Amino acid sequence: MPPAPGRRRHRSFARKTADSIARSITDVLENEELAARPGLLQRIDPRVRLVTLALFAVTVSLVHSVWVLLALIGLTCVFAALSRVGVTAFARKVWLSAGLLAFLIALPSALAWFTPGAVAFTLGPLTFTQPGLMGVATLVARVAAAAGFALLVIWTMRWSDLLRALSALRLPDVVVATLGMAQKQILTLLRTVEQIHLARESRTLTLGTTKENRDWVTERMAFVLRKSMKTADDVYDAMLARGYTGGMPSLRRLRVGMGDWVWLAASVALCAAALAASRMAGG
Amino acid sequence: MNIVAMHIPDGYLGPQTYVVFWLVMIPIWFVAARKVKRTLKSRQIPLLALGAAFCFIIMMFNVPVVGGSTGHAVGATLVAIVLGPWAAVIAVSIALAIQCGLFGDGGITAFGANCFNMAVVIPFVGYYLYTLLCGDAPSTSRRSLSAGVAAYVAIVAGAICAGFEFGIQPYIAHTASGQALYAPYKLSVAVPAMALEHMLFFGWVEAFVTAGVVAVLQRTEPGLLEAKPSPRSMRWLWAAVGVLILLTPIGVLAPGTAWGEWSPEEITGRIGYVPSGFEKLGSLWKAAMPDYATPGVSNTLLGYLIAAIVGAALVAGVTWGVGALLARRRGESNIAAPSPPAPAE
Repeated sequence: MPPAPGRRRHRSFARKTADSIARSITDVLENEELAARPGLLQRIDPRVRLVTLALFAVTVSLVHSVWVLLALIGLTCVFAALSRVGVTAFARKVWLSAGLLAFLIALPSALAWFTPGAVAFTLGPLTFTQPGLMGVATLVARVAAAAGFALLVIWTMRWSDLLRALSALRLPDVVVATLGMAQKQILTLLRTVEQIHLARESRTLTLGTTKENRDWVTERMAFVLRKSMKTADDVYDAMLARGYTGGMPSLRRLRVGMGDWVWLAASVALCAAALAASRMAGG
Repeated sequence: MNIVAMHIPDGYLGPQTYVVFWLVMIPIWFVAARKVKRTLKSRQIPLLALGAAFCFIIMMFNVPVVGGSTGHAVGATLVAIVLGPWAAVIAVSIALAIQCGLFGDGGITAFGANCFNMAVVIPFVGYYLYTLLCGDAPSTSRRSLSAGVAAYVAIVAGAICAGFEFGIQPYIAHTASGQALYAPYKLSVAVPAMALEHMLFFGWVEAFVTAGVVAVLQRTEPGLLEAKPSPRSMRWLWAAVGVLILLTPIGVLAPGTAWGEWSPEEITGRIGYVPSGFEKLGSLWKAAMPDYATPGVSNTLLGYLIAAIVGAALVAGVTWGVGALLARRRGESNIAAPSPPAPAE
């Protein structure tokens, strides 16, 4: 019998897991598509892009003025627009995933009980203070700005470019190789786990007891662990067969051009200006 | 996709905190890489990538808890049991790097702190507690129970670390008017909030998952649960205890008294009187080092440090004594009940 109109059907844990895995795989594929678009950030050398976006993230953590933080949030939106990743989707992702969560976590700290100070307003028995509300605004703006720069890294850098940049920045080859292997294995195992859960969902008529379901989940986890450990030998043989010698050679030679230097200088200047403005604003 | 309540995003920790954790993690990664190189053969290097992939995947499973609700496990104790604690440091760090770089889960600046909480504290606490509880020749049920208890304690320990990192922010970064610049809740709120959340919910998910998977592995693949070679790892454990002891004077930063640990005078100030039972029992025991102060030492920081050393030495001494007693009893019972003869071939 189909669920009554207006009532949400209770999702089983298997369906929840399969859905969240499908969403994750979609996210990865969409990120790759966004990173391949001909935008401003995508044209910058991966090493320079990684270093400058990390510099912006550090600057966000050093700025204390809420107004400067809001300006940096505006800057992330400008970068998103120039990089053709969709400003609306970008803003929605930043505010819904990071900003809203930070607001909900921080809001009680605006109460006089947590942050004493001049009273801003009262709401029934709740008294909100001015320093408390400013603290909430600062935290939410900081988290949103930082999430914006982090999202720009994810949306404008292909995973292979990120690994190449990390390798060029002298991260040990074994670490870069392990990161690359782990990402590929994650995608493979995600598909396996999704299929396991869809198979369970399609052949199960009842929701089952909590204990039965938990036992099934732990059994499947053990299966994935055994499969992971047993695959290690095959992976190593495959690596050797394809000429693995311990290094991370790349066919694409990275070269820092004039545009990259301009971008680097502009980013350093913007970060310095943000810190100076924050200091002048008393933060 | 913040699926586990312990990933610290960017913006919650100030530079004074996240820089320290980056500096702490760099030598730990270095030592872990050397240890792993020594214990794993070159062809087992993909094992680390697969361990990291497994660690990532385990966080994707929805684990049924109660009343249709589901939770996620971290799996760091499980990975430590299977790969050893040093390999787990690298595997979990890589899983966290992929979550951060590919899915935006956990911050870039907070990456060092996240790795410390989830890739160091949880694997080490979990692994050593598991080996301590398991003993030399564990049965399936004992292994499974030990893994569950170790995973529960380890994730709570990781959460307390995260709570501590959040909780020190208002003390080290605020404006003149008292406005918090990073995480706004003090230690008295942040630590209990993180600890209770994990003691009441996430800890149980972690315990069920770890115990369940270890039970299945014991049945189907017992080789994966064999003790990992770590002949000199206890030295690092002691070094970590030493660092923690040196960090104890940070507690002096926190003004006031922890919630529920008030003196009779403070209770009088809050509710106007001292309950009779509290008054009667409160004077029953006089501590040798009240309020972590060392008698005869006027410097508060030094007194705190001495109290930490004395406390750690007492805990280590009692644990060693109990362990020695249990080992002797086990030795006697082994002599009393010899193992059954091997089956005829």
